[in-house]
Amino acid sequence: MKKLSKLILSLPLVWACTSGEDPVISEPKIHYYIPEVSSTLQVAGFPQPERNMLSEEGVALGKRLYFDPNLSGNGKVSCATCHSPSLAFTDGLALAKHGVSGKGLHRTSPPLFNLAWQSEGLFWDGGAHDLESLNFAPLTHPDEMGADLNELISYLESDPVYKEQFEFVFSEGQIQSAQISRAISQYVRSLISQDSKYDRWKRSEAELTELELTGYQLYQKNCSSCHQEGLFTDRSFHNNGLDKAYPNPPALEGLYQGRFRITSNPEDMGAYKTPTLRNIVLTAPYMHDGRFQTLEEVLDHYQNGIQVNETLAPALSEGIKLSTTERVAIIAFLNTLTDSLFIQKHQK
Amino acid sequence: MKNLIYTALFGSIMMFSSCDDVEVPATMAMDISLEHVLDGQTLELNGKSFTLPSGEDFTPKKFKYYISNVALRNSVSGETYVEPNSYHLISEDGKKSIDLGMIPSANYDQLTFSIGVDEVANGKTDQTGDLDPNSDMAWNWNTGYKFVVLEGEFTNSNSGERQGLIIHIGTNPNFRTVTQSLTGVIAGSPTSLTLTSNLDELFKDPNILQLSELESTTIMFGEMAGKVAENYSEGFITVK
Repeated sequence: MKKLSKLILSLPLVWACTSGEDPVISEPKIHYYIPEVSSTLQVAGFPQPERNMLSEEGVALGKRLYFDPNLSGNGKVSCATCHSPSLAFTDGLALAKHGVSGKGLHRTSPPLFNLAWQSEGLFWDGGAHDLESLNFAPLTHPDEMGADLNELISYLESDPVYKEQFEFVFSEGQIQSAQISRAISQYVRSLISQDSKYDRWKRSEAELTELELTGYQLYQKNCSSCHQEGLFTDRSFHNNGLDKAYPNPPALEGLYQGRFRITSNPEDMGAYKTPTLRNIVLTAPYMHDGRFQTLEEVLDHYQNGIQVNETLAPALSEGIKLSTTERVAIIAFLNTLTDSLFIQKHQK
Repeated sequence: MKNLIYTALFGSIMMFSSCDDVEVPATMAMDISLEHVLDGQTLELNGKSFTLPSGEDFTPKKFKYYISNVALRNSVSGETYVEPNSYHLISEDGKKSIDLGMIPSANYDQLTFSIGVDEVANGKTDQTGDLDPNSDMAWNWNTGYKFVVLEGEFTNSNSGERQGLIIHIGTNPNFRTVTQSLTGVIAGSPTSLTLTSNLDELFKDPNILQLSELESTTIMFGEMAGKVAENYSEGFITVK
């Protein structure tokens, strides 16, 4: 058997020589692909950086890295610790303490899907330009994965499977930190949620109940200016009236000031990224610091909790008034945004 | 095409035939070394105390910065050499030189370089070489690089207590380009240039930094960072 396989392997070589051309051993090919995108996302194409185009092998490598706790400083924390597939890539906690140091974080873990279209910046304050740049933060932050990039590279270099995967995907002799981030970015960019009941309804594959339809109309009237239909976010930053003032302890480097911390623009004081409403039922608690445990608490906030100051989003100055039955309807609609197919597909 | 061949032919004849005393090789070696000076003395980390322009004594612990987009020019003939992919992380406890290798020969009389990382390179951090984010110069929560880092401890002249100083300057508005004149560079001769980074200039000209009077001695963003950038835009790094 061994002999046979050797013979077969050598065949193309011999054949190539006899045809008068230089012998060419064909390299195994990388399978680049563009994921299918549902019309219900209301987006044009699948944007991705030229320097890091999606490939099946890149996504597979990224997925392995994503679930590997050995990337962390203490070997116990993986990306999935805070971004678990079963909770639409969140952790269900307000301010988690399961990083390497055990210290509480200052922001809640955001869901990870449909991020290819999050063009206006990542993180709650939009501070990261792209996934490729973002990943170094959770990887190296002492309260998150606490990795030392040089030690991380030694670990990956010492694992023959990783080594081969990196060489195949990036065609470089040496693993570099940029490649680690790029592979993880490919995996995360491949996470697309677009098959909820809402999507199937829009594609005429399912029907909404009367209550859900009423909820949809209420959503359109009250929520869709920021949570724009399609991605269910306008990808922008707003002060939604959570706090009146924003303390600035020097040690936190402007962390409580929202997007102002990034832009130094006074209009961005207290503004945070509009989170998507897709899979919202799975991604409690809510707001950038997870202060609201339930959707009812969120609706309470919009109804009578708005803190007015000069940067408040104008659409919220009067709050959002809903009757009890309207609340039931809107929550019924929000439930149609849960994408079970997506959750099942991405279980580790 | 024919013209090109003739030109090449003619060029090579010129090279081979001009073997008299006027021959200038096509390329020349060029390197740049950097010296770090504070209070007129050679910089040292983690020990020696230096006097700042404002009078406080200061013990430096970390000093790192980026020099990028290095170019040489002859201002008369216009001959210019622009180093490709030109990003150099210089640090007191690391690399303090820039090897340009063999560059086209010319009587260069101007050196241009930038302090920091240009807008394009500053827009992402998944990069390699001196821009690899493993060097502690990448900001992870606000994508970009620190251009100039100085950390240390000083004695507060009001309280008499030791206090930390952290200067991390970055962001696109603080990117600065500097042009300096050169003398004595001769086409074809290997050349070693020396630049002096004078740390005093971070604290003065035009903005005096009186550390003991500052609201915060962590200078990273906003107005204070802009003032330090103004200070380093002139006189901070000069040809020796």
